Amino acid sequence: MLENILPENISKIINNKINYKVINEIRIRADKPIVININGQAYFLSENGLSSNLNNAIKATKIMVEDIIFRASECSLYSVNEQIKQGFLVTKGGIRIGIGGSVIEDNKTIKTMNNFTSVNIRIPHHIKNCSLSAFNSIVNENKVQNTLIISPPGCGKTTFLRDFICQLSERNIALNILVLDERGELDIGSTIGNFSDKICFARKKVGFENGIRTLSPNIIVTDELNELEDIEAILYAVNCGVNLLASTHADSIETFLKKESFNKVIKEKIFKRYVVLSSRNGPGTYEGIYNENFSRLH
Amino acid sequence: MIKWLIMIILFFLCILIGYYFSQRYVNRLKFFKSLILLCQNLDIEINYSRERLKKLINNYDEKTKKNLLGIDQEFLKYLDNPKELKKEELFKNAGILKKEEQDLIFLFFKNLGRSDVENQTKELKNFIAKFEEIKIKAENENKKYGSLSLKLGLIIGLFILVILI
Repeated sequence: MLENILPENISKIINNKINYKVINEIRIRADKPIVININGQAYFLSENGLSSNLNNAIKATKIMVEDIIFRASECSLYSVNEQIKQGFLVTKGGIRIGIGGSVIEDNKTIKTMNNFTSVNIRIPHHIKNCSLSAFNSIVNENKVQNTLIISPPGCGKTTFLRDFICQLSERNIALNILVLDERGELDIGSTIGNFSDKICFARKKVGFENGIRTLSPNIIVTDELNELEDIEAILYAVNCGVNLLASTHADSIETFLKKESFNKVIKEKIFKRYVVLSSRNGPGTYEGIYNENFSRLH
Repeated sequence: MIKWLIMIILFFLCILIGYYFSQRYVNRLKFFKSLILLCQNLDIEINYSRERLKKLINNYDEKTKKNLLGIDQEFLKYLDNPKELKKEELFKNAGILKKEEQDLIFLFFKNLGRSDVENQTKELKNFIAKFEEIKIKAENENKKYGSLSLKLGLIIGLFILVILI
């Protein structure tokens, strides 16, 4: 898939000299060296593969950045403008490309982005069994407890959710799962199991309401709860009797407790389990599993 | 007998050459009419369905596409592997277009898909207006020179016949 997005020379080096499976991110910034992140470690891309020497690094250009975005949109930027407005776009196969550039606003609403200057290509991975350590704490007698995955960006929240859905499917736990994939990165091709329905690119509020009404899920899985509107959506789901598996950004349980938008959720003990991940020993490192009272279970 | 045969062959050859030149004008007109229809279709689809260009061009009416002198097919090849859009490849089978027309059409395809819906629509409307101007010129040329070429072919054929008789 990367070869459809990246310039030919860059794609060749990555294919021939770097193990694609270990790459987490490729950062391409106009007039700056191309940086590849592997297990939280940054390397420069050189003609000979990875390098720590800045002098050997291949420099990106603005045209390169614009071309990557154009190709990732399948030569149809207008068709992905709603994503671009939010600063990203997702290609086939769930590769999410974060975009840096100028935001064009009109009457305080974002119309589009242009003058692209950088892209952050995040390579999705399906790491089998990465959610196993927390599985038994979350699933009890075939019932999934409301769970929130907490971690800083790039520490494996989405990979955890993806694997968790697969684990449910593999165990034939026939609960109807609604995957609300706001950014199109949860499903990277047959990774959402046999009992899952998917709603893509919808805001949580809209996705939750429509999904519960039409697809009657037992569980909703969604990524990156942030705004108050998201919290309203999860409260709505819980009041409808639907269980939740979701994620949010925070670097520890203490930081999470300071997030004002989650006050009501914490007070009402909506989530019964909190799984904290970090990249201390590589993305997906377990920092702890907590119950609704924030007592550590593991 | 051989003389008559050569005379008939020359006569029909002149008519054929005349017909060939007149068809160039007809095909140019058909091309610009089809190109405008394609632009109008893209304008509607980009605004409403927002489908990818490849699908829009693939699904576009086959009959109209036939008049596009293979430009649509060359553009589809580029969409499959978007490295660099090359003029000589795009106009491989479009020798009947003038250089300035090729430049404009090249610019159109080069910019296609590179902006958001609003700007893409504006651009399409802008190009449609320019293509309309060329279409009117092509229409006048066809009226003027299309039938003239055919008549000229016929007259030259008859003239040769008269000389040879």
